[in-house]
Amino acid sequence: MSATGAASKPARPIARLAYHSTVTCAAQASVYGKCITASYLDVSKDMCSAEFAKFKACLRESMKKRQ
Amino acid sequence: MPLSLRHQLRSLASRVPSRNYAAVSSSPSQTNPYTVGPYQVFDRNAKRLQRDRAVARDGGDRSRTVDYIRDEIAERMMERFMDIKRSFNTVLDLGSGPGHFSKLLESDKAKKTVMLEMSGKTLHREPDSEFEGTSSGIQRVSNLNGQDIVQVERIQGDEENLLQHIERESQEAVLSCLSLHWVNDLPGVLVQIRESLKPDGLFLGAMFGGDTLFELRTSLQLAEAEREGGLSPHVSPMTDTRDISNLLGRAGFTLLTVDTDEVKVGYPSMWELMEDLQDMGESNAVIGRRARISPDTLAAASAIYKELHGNEDGSIPATFQVIYMIGWKPADSQPKPLERGSGKVNLKEVL
Repeated sequence: MSATGAASKPARPIARLAYHSTVTCAAQASVYGKCITASYLDVSKDMCSAEFAKFKACLRESMKKRQ
Repeated sequence: MPLSLRHQLRSLASRVPSRNYAAVSSSPSQTNPYTVGPYQVFDRNAKRLQRDRAVARDGGDRSRTVDYIRDEIAERMMERFMDIKRSFNTVLDLGSGPGHFSKLLESDKAKKTVMLEMSGKTLHREPDSEFEGTSSGIQRVSNLNGQDIVQVERIQGDEENLLQHIERESQEAVLSCLSLHWVNDLPGVLVQIRESLKPDGLFLGAMFGGDTLFELRTSLQLAEAEREGGLSPHVSPMTDTRDISNLLGRAGFTLLTVDTDEVKVGYPSMWELMEDLQDMGESNAVIGRRARISPDTLAAASAIYKELHGNEDGSIPATFQVIYMIGWKPADSQPKPLERGSGKVNLKEVL
């Protein structure tokens, strides 16, 4: 993602990430969130990495597409 | 040469991404975490720049859109101010911002307000015409016989060094609406406020504290712990409600009144909340904060926020807890408790 490209695009990358993480990939986000919430009193690194990997795969796929 | 330099600067500027969620570190030399005293928590220089930038965005429109929380708290603070049966010639609005509180002042309560604010752009965001009937500052007021007009004076200065801008024993009332939560040395500033007051002078303040933004704090903490295996400060440490009356007492105020209030605001998602906080100039300014937060962690935090704290309708709440404090500078005219053992009535007979 080159800086000049990001500047000329109408939506900033962060806005697109916001959109995709809450709308496009809402289902995967919810699965990941539930995994954390299930044991949020004892969180360790990569505790929900499988769920996050799916969430991230969805994000990566939708960030590729131009809206 | 100037032309080519400008060209270079512009090409440099175009390479900078249009926004950052995490604030750019801009610590001046005195905010080195290893050489400062125990009270150095916030990067005041970064905070001033954040406020300047927030007001500069879209010619101040973005900043005006996110006035909702400060305007609401200013109104609630005004209710407390109106409960004080006294009118003032001059009040000092400490950390005034663009004047959320001063705008509400009426001339029968205060004839003049002095706004002191660290960020120059924030201080001058609103023209004088926005304030109760004022046309153009001090000169014009005398032409209009100055009866129903609140005069406005603006001083750009750091509220941490209050006594550099305001003389000792010079103020009838010091009011502070939502600025003290960025002050490093709160006990010291309270002492300076008391020093700047005349005897029997009033201090009325409102500040964020307690559970403010605990949802955002916990979501970011959980996301960071699970994704990266560590923690870093993203939400300021908040003053506990219970500490405020102790601090006021320690600073030498009497007749204290402290109460708290909670405002819950709903947002579509964590992203809108963070954008609004940035437009308010309330981005993270804790010393030692990370300059950048990874998109992974942000996405994770957004998912956690929604699952852990989200409302049933899919929106997310953000809590703002406000601590209101009233204190008076001691004076002989104030009512005082009687001497111990001087009671004449035997309570046994009364009860």
